[in-house]
Amino acid sequence: MENTIKIKSRSVWSDAWDRLKRDKLAMVSLGVIIIYAVVAILSATGLLAADWDQKVGESYMAPTTEKISLLFGTDIFGYSVLRKVIHGTQIAMSVGLISTLIAIPIGISLGALAGYFGKWIDEAVVWFYTTFSSVPGIMLLMSIAFAFGKGLTTLYIALGLTSWVGLCRLIRGEVMKHKNREYVQAATAIGAGNGRKLFIHIIPNVIHLVIINASLQFQVAIKSEVILSYLGLGVTGQPSWGTMIDDAKQELAQGVWWQLAGATFAMFFVVLAFNILGDALRDALDPKLKGK
Amino acid sequence: MDWLFRMKKHLAILLLLPLALVMACKKKMSFDEKVLYQVASAKIQGFDPVFASDAYSSQAVGKVYESLYQYHYLKRPYTLVPNLASAMPEVSEDGLTYKIPLKKGVLFHNDECFPNGKGREMKASDVAYSIRRLADPKLQSTGWWLLENKVLGLDEWRKAGGDYSAPIKGLETPDDYTVIFKLKRPFPQFLYALAMTFTSVTPKEAVEKYGEEFLNHPVGTGPFTMAPYEQNYRIVFEKNPNYRQEFYPTEGEESDAEKGLLKASGKTVPFVDKIVLQIIREPQPAWLSFEKGRVDMFGIPKDNFDKVVAPGDAITDAYKEKGIVLHISPSLDITYIAFNNADSLFKDNVHLRRAMSLAYNIDEVNKLFYNGRTLKAQSIIPPGIAGFREDYVNPYREFNLVKAREEMEKAGYPKGEGLPVIKYETIASTTSRQMAEYFVKSMAKIGVRVEVSTSTWPQFIQKVNTKQAQMFGMAWGADYPDGENFLQLLYSPNGAPGSNGSNFSNPVYDSLFATSSVMQDSPERTALYERLNQMAAEQVPMIYGVHRKSFVVKHGWVRNYKYHEFSQGMEKYYDIDLEEKKRLYQKM
Repeated sequence: MENTIKIKSRSVWSDAWDRLKRDKLAMVSLGVIIIYAVVAILSATGLLAADWDQKVGESYMAPTTEKISLLFGTDIFGYSVLRKVIHGTQIAMSVGLISTLIAIPIGISLGALAGYFGKWIDEAVVWFYTTFSSVPGIMLLMSIAFAFGKGLTTLYIALGLTSWVGLCRLIRGEVMKHKNREYVQAATAIGAGNGRKLFIHIIPNVIHLVIINASLQFQVAIKSEVILSYLGLGVTGQPSWGTMIDDAKQELAQGVWWQLAGATFAMFFVVLAFNILGDALRDALDPKLKGK
Repeated sequence: MDWLFRMKKHLAILLLLPLALVMACKKKMSFDEKVLYQVASAKIQGFDPVFASDAYSSQAVGKVYESLYQYHYLKRPYTLVPNLASAMPEVSEDGLTYKIPLKKGVLFHNDECFPNGKGREMKASDVAYSIRRLADPKLQSTGWWLLENKVLGLDEWRKAGGDYSAPIKGLETPDDYTVIFKLKRPFPQFLYALAMTFTSVTPKEAVEKYGEEFLNHPVGTGPFTMAPYEQNYRIVFEKNPNYRQEFYPTEGEESDAEKGLLKASGKTVPFVDKIVLQIIREPQPAWLSFEKGRVDMFGIPKDNFDKVVAPGDAITDAYKEKGIVLHISPSLDITYIAFNNADSLFKDNVHLRRAMSLAYNIDEVNKLFYNGRTLKAQSIIPPGIAGFREDYVNPYREFNLVKAREEMEKAGYPKGEGLPVIKYETIASTTSRQMAEYFVKSMAKIGVRVEVSTSTWPQFIQKVNTKQAQMFGMAWGADYPDGENFLQLLYSPNGAPGSNGSNFSNPVYDSLFATSSVMQDSPERTALYERLNQMAAEQVPMIYGVHRKSFVVKHGWVRNYKYHEFSQGMEKYYDIDLEEKKRLYQKM
């Protein structure tokens, strides 16, 4: 009797995932990011490079393949540069993750409120973020770092609080477009309230922007951490890629290049991977680019 | 055809361009005139002696201006000799009155500010005028601290607004060639003040004629005059034709004869015709200029150290071949990590301070941060100054973790139990951060937990000045070669915001210091200095660091060079061997 062919309905997510899978470069990037994430987790749980503050040799030993810990040589105190790079990965990834997690809720909520309600709320939010973003980013970061004292927590907060504007703008615009669409009108017709319309109907339809934005935000945070630590405003008391590059500034004249190389390559690959993945995600998730 | 021709012309220009550039770089070096090429890493703030507070400005001022006294070029320890004064002063019994005779026939530079452009004779009134300028409240000199609260009536004159015609009790000029200073209380270091560039003698005419431009238009009595200011980064000085007869010293340290430093004995100075001072901010380009022979002498940047200095403190062969000579001399300074002795944690707990000192391995610090070339400090006075004793070993200076742990128990914090986290203040620079990391690591070994707080330099100073810094790293360089200048760092009335940032306060130390500070140089005073120095060592108000050394390289053609801690105006003794320069310059 039943002749109808069952077509499994495909969600936008599985559709996007299929498209992403086809992009080999994006998959490699995803793999790289997963490796960095695993390294960071292992380091955070003390399974990897927990002994970064132990001497493994004399100061400034050149890289050798004799021992794994000497693969990238040693620094001024005779610490293993490889272990410092690994510990730096933990710092970088945690800064990326936590600051992005701080920025996203702020960006979404302010953007959605402004876009949905319009009028004075919109004006207030727009005024706030234009004022906020007219302050040069690095100055803002420095003043937050000075106000709260230096350290990792400050870095999370500072980077989180300064990087929500882009997402907020994006969400505001999208929500404005969506709020008069048919599906929202339909929801209104069946008596849905503002909260329901906004959170159950509109936001799931713009959430892909958040994912794209987050993957790009992540690498900006990593770079900012490195710059701030290089300027002496970031991490203290533990190695980070930024402080390693700061060390290298003086060591280079003596021919000690391995700290610079270790930190730079570690940063290079993860930032590149996030950039490629971010672009691929945009291709996969943004319906306007579908089929192109 | 036409375009081909044109192209050829362009090609020719293109081909010539690099050649022209090369020629521009390899500017012709003149070998007919004795020119001394110097370099400074910061802009000169101007040539007004009363504002010459930074090292580079006072170096520049010292070429053009002179003070009443100067340091002997060769003798060590540093000794004062007359410069514009004709003899050492007559000091009264009570140490309050200084009668200073002046040289006759000292002429100012020829300058438009004088009638007919001829420099007139320098007289006692010029000395009095220059001292008044230093105290002038309208000028806000950066060197006023030097005479503050010292000369009778000078502070009152300053408070009254600085009327140049009003008399000052402690500053008299009975005749044209005598100046008498009367002090409020004995200040045996007073003569050192009269050897600093701040107290250089300036003529009233020039100040009045040039007004604010006086800053860029120096008129002094010194061995050199400044040629018109052309560029900001290149200042030329020429030999002063009016310069009186001054001679190269005939005696020095024992080793000076052997080093050839006495060959010029008794000859008339200055030797060089011209000094070219170049301002190059970054150490690397300045270093390259030195290597090319376009700068005659230079302090070695830390990063180039291994390239220049071979193990055993000799110069590397590559540089030796070029005739470059290395001069290593101790600097009159000390580095230290201060405890804030006003902090309840450290105040009455000498054992805690000793424990932390014992846990800090200064030999390792020396190796890691100073290329292994410093002397570890046993106490506060550096070598080369009375009060320092070579044979003195501070029992709390050594690196001894066993002893450190014992002291921790005596301090009431066995293994660090119950001790709150200590905050260490430092500035945001690479080396400072690394030093802080090393300190944290060292203290962890005896259970002392340290947290590092990084600031900018002004913030750091403010924390020290408001007694908020619990511990901090610092260095102190001598203003003048007297132990008093170092011992005062622990004198309690000098507590923050004064120079005693450690806020160390000890009644016995204070009273002994007060006694010594009014004594003239004598074996008794030296004994007192030694006693104070030892007290300072054993009370451990700070973790003593190192006494640094200066590493200067110079080219083979520079003659008579000897490192001098207070080198303002010493260029008059340098000489250039043009034959040698012609020969060595080819190798650059």
